[in-house]
Amino acid sequence: MATLELKNLQAQVAETGEEILRGVDLEVNNGEIHALMGPNGSGKSTTAKVIAGHPAYEVTGGSVRLTLSEADVADIDVDIDEADLTWDLLDLEPNERAALGIFLAFQYPAEIEGVTMVNFLRQALNAKLDEREELFEDEDEEGADAEDDSGYDTSPMEGPADDGDVGVAEFQQLLKEKMELLDMDEKFAERYLNAGFSGGEKKQNEVLQAAILEPSIAVLDEIDSGLDIDRLQDVSEGINALRDEQGTGILQITHYQRILDYVEPDHVHVMLDGKIAKSGGAELAEELEDEGYDWVREEVYEAA
Amino acid sequence: MSTQLPASISEETVNEISAERDEPDWLLQTRLEALSALEELEMPSVIETPGRRWTNLEDLDYESIVDPLDQRDETERVSAEGAKVLDFETALEEHPELVEEHFGSVTDPQTNYLTALSTALFTTGTVIYVPEGVDAEDVKVRAEMNSTSLFSHTLVVAEDNSSATILERISNGSAVDGDRYFSNLVEIVTGENAYVQYGSLQNLDEDVYDFTLKRGDADRYATIDWIEGNIGSRLTRSDIETELNGDSSETKIVGAFFGHDDQHFDINARVWHNGEHTTADLVTRGVLDDEARSVYEGVQDVGREAWDTSSYQRENTLMLSDDSEADASPKLIIHNHDTEASHSATVGQVDAEDLFYMTSRAISPNTARNMLVEGFFVPVLEEVEVDELRDDIDDLIVARLD
Ligand SMILES: Nc1ncnc2c1ncn2[C@@H]1O[C@H](COP(=O)(O)OP(=O)(O)OP(=O)(O)O)[C@@H](O)[C@H]1O
Ligand SMILES: [Mg+2]
Repeated sequence: MATLELKNLQAQVAETGEEILRGVDLEVNNGEIHALMGPNGSGKSTTAKVIAGHPAYEVTGGSVRLTLSEADVADIDVDIDEADLTWDLLDLEPNERAALGIFLAFQYPAEIEGVTMVNFLRQALNAKLDEREELFEDEDEEGADAEDDSGYDTSPMEGPADDGDVGVAEFQQLLKEKMELLDMDEKFAERYLNAGFSGGEKKQNEVLQAAILEPSIAVLDEIDSGLDIDRLQDVSEGINALRDEQGTGILQITHYQRILDYVEPDHVHVMLDGKIAKSGGAELAEELEDEGYDWVREEVYEAA
Repeated sequence: MSTQLPASISEETVNEISAERDEPDWLLQTRLEALSALEELEMPSVIETPGRRWTNLEDLDYESIVDPLDQRDETERVSAEGAKVLDFETALEEHPELVEEHFGSVTDPQTNYLTALSTALFTTGTVIYVPEGVDAEDVKVRAEMNSTSLFSHTLVVAEDNSSATILERISNGSAVDGDRYFSNLVEIVTGENAYVQYGSLQNLDEDVYDFTLKRGDADRYATIDWIEGNIGSRLTRSDIETELNGDSSETKIVGAFFGHDDQHFDINARVWHNGEHTTADLVTRGVLDDEARSVYEGVQDVGREAWDTSSYQRENTLMLSDDSEADASPKLIIHNHDTEASHSATVGQVDAEDLFYMTSRAISPNTARNMLVEGFFVPVLEEVEVDELRDDIDDLIVARLD
C-alpha cells in the first residue's frame, strides 16, 4: 500500500524566486483516483513537476513523502526494514523518484529526435529495475560502507545497449502487448520519442510508458487534453488498468468532467493560487462544471 | 607569405620523392611548380571574429612536424567488382592518361599554401576509377599513418552512369613521439548521371595536426554526397566543397564532429551552384566537451546562371561543457533569385526539459545525456550508406561518451 503525501508544500521558480505553491496538502493512496482541478495558472503542473523533481523549482517549505508497503517492494532481493519504506522524495534525484515508483505524465511531453521509443522505453525499464536495487542496497549498507558505493555505480554506456535485465526480445514482446492494450500502432515503437507525434498520440504514449513502468503513484497532467473520443476511451482503460492491476494511486490533473466519466475519481481537489482550496467526492467535479471556479473562490474567501 | 619553408623541403627533396616512385615528368613538374609557388601562397582563410582569429595555421611549427623523406603508412584497399581501387603508383602505371587528365583538375594544387605543400610532398594515396555504367558498392580505403608527417592524394573518377559508395578511414598505427602532421587532398570527378558517396572518418591521435581539402565536380545529373566524421586529431582544418557545374546535379555535405580536451575543429562546407536545377543540402552536427573548440563556415554560392536552385544549410553545435567554445557562420550568396534556399546555425546545450523528461523515467542523468548526444548525431548517421562507416562513427561517439 503506497502513499504519496504532500504536506504544506511550498515552491518557487528557482530563477526568479516567484512563489507558486503556497502550502499544498494532498494525500494519494494506492488504488485511489484523485482528480486535481483548478483554473489556469493555479499551480497544478507545478505541483506535478515538484513531485517528480523538476530542477526549475525550488522547494522552500513542506515535504513530499512516499511510503511503500512490503508488497510494493516484493520485487527487490534484499531485506528491507520497516524504516526503509518511507522516502523523503525531496532528497532524491528525479530518476531515483521514478525508480521508487513515481510517474509523471507530462502536460507537454518532450520531443526527442534520434532516440527511438523502443530503445528509450527499454532503457527506462532497465534503469528503473537497477536503480531500485541500488536505492535499497544503499539504504541497507548505510554506515557500514556508504562511501564505497562507487563500486557498483553503473556507468551507463559501459556495455552495449543490450545489457540490462530485460533483453531486447523480451522487451519487444512486452511493448507489443502494452501497445495492443492501448490500441496503438506497432509502428510507433521504431519512431523517435514523441517526434512529430500528434497531440493525442503524445498523450497516449505517456500512458503507454506508465503501463510499462508500472508505477506505485502516477501523476497524470491533463492526459485527456487533445484526445478524440475513441482515444479518450483507450487512455481511460489504460489508467483504470493501472489502478486495478498494479494498484497504482492516480493523481489526475484535468479541466474537464469528460474523462472523469470514464476514470471515476474517489476524491476531487480544487487548487486556487497554489493551494488546495476545496476537496470533496466525485460530485464536486460536477458542481464545478456547472458553477465554475468563482463559486469555490467566493466560498473560500468568505470563510477566511 | 609569412610561413617560413622548413629547411628539409627543397627541390632536391621533391626530386627525390618523385624519382623514388618513378613518376612521369608531368607529375614531377606539377610538384615542382607547387613547391615554388609556396613562397607567394597564403594559408587558407579562417574565420575571424572581433579580436580573435579562430585557427592559427601560421603558428604551426612546420619545421618540426614535416619530415618529407620519412613518410610511412599502411593502407588497406577494398575494391568492388568492375572498379579499380589502386595505390597511386600502380594507378600511374596502369592508367597513366586517366591520372594525368584528372589530377589537379578539381582542386588547383596552388589553391593555398597547404594544398601546394601537399601536392609537392605527397607519397601515398588512392585512385578510385569507376568505369562507365559500373556500380561499385562499399569501396574501402583504411589508412594508418606511421610517421611524423604524411601527405596523401585521393582521386575518384566516376564515369557516365556509374556509382560508388566509398569509405575512407584515417587513423594512426604505431605511435610516434611529438606533434605530427597529416594532409589529404581528395578530388572527385564525375561523368553524366554518376553518383558518388564519399564517406570519411578521421580518428587520428590527438597530437596530429590534420589538413584536408575535399572537392568534387558534379556533371549533368550527377550527385556527389560527402559524409565526414571528425573525432581525432589535435587540430583539424577540413574543407569540403562541391561545384555543381552540370544541370540538375546534386550534392549533400554531411558532417559530424565530437571534440573533447583541447581539440580544435575548423570545419568548412561550400557549394557553388553553377548549372540549372541544382540542389544542395549541407548538414553539420558537432558536439564539444571539455575545452574543445569548433569553428564552422558554410557557403552556398548561387551563380548568375543557376536558375531553379534549391539550397539548404543547417549547422548545430551542442556544448557539453561551459569551457568549450564554438562559432558558426552560414553564408548564402545569391546571384540568381530563382532560388529556394535556407541557412541556419545554432549553438546550444543539452535541453533541460529533454533531460528532465528522460530522468523522470528513471534514466540516470548521465545516460540520458549520452542518449541525447547519440540521438543528436542520428541525422548524420542516417545518411551513411556504407554500414562499416556508420558503425565505426557510432562506436567512436559512444566510446567518447562517459
Ligand atoms: N518555470 C517557470 N517560470 C516562470 N513562471 C512559472 C514557471 N512555472 C510555472 N510558472 C508560473 O506559475 C503559475 C502556475 O503554473 P502551472 O503551470 O503550475 O499552472 P497550471 O495550474 O498547471 O495551469 P494550466 O491549467 O494552464 O496548465 C503560472 O502563473 C506560471 O506562469
Ligand atoms: Mg498545467
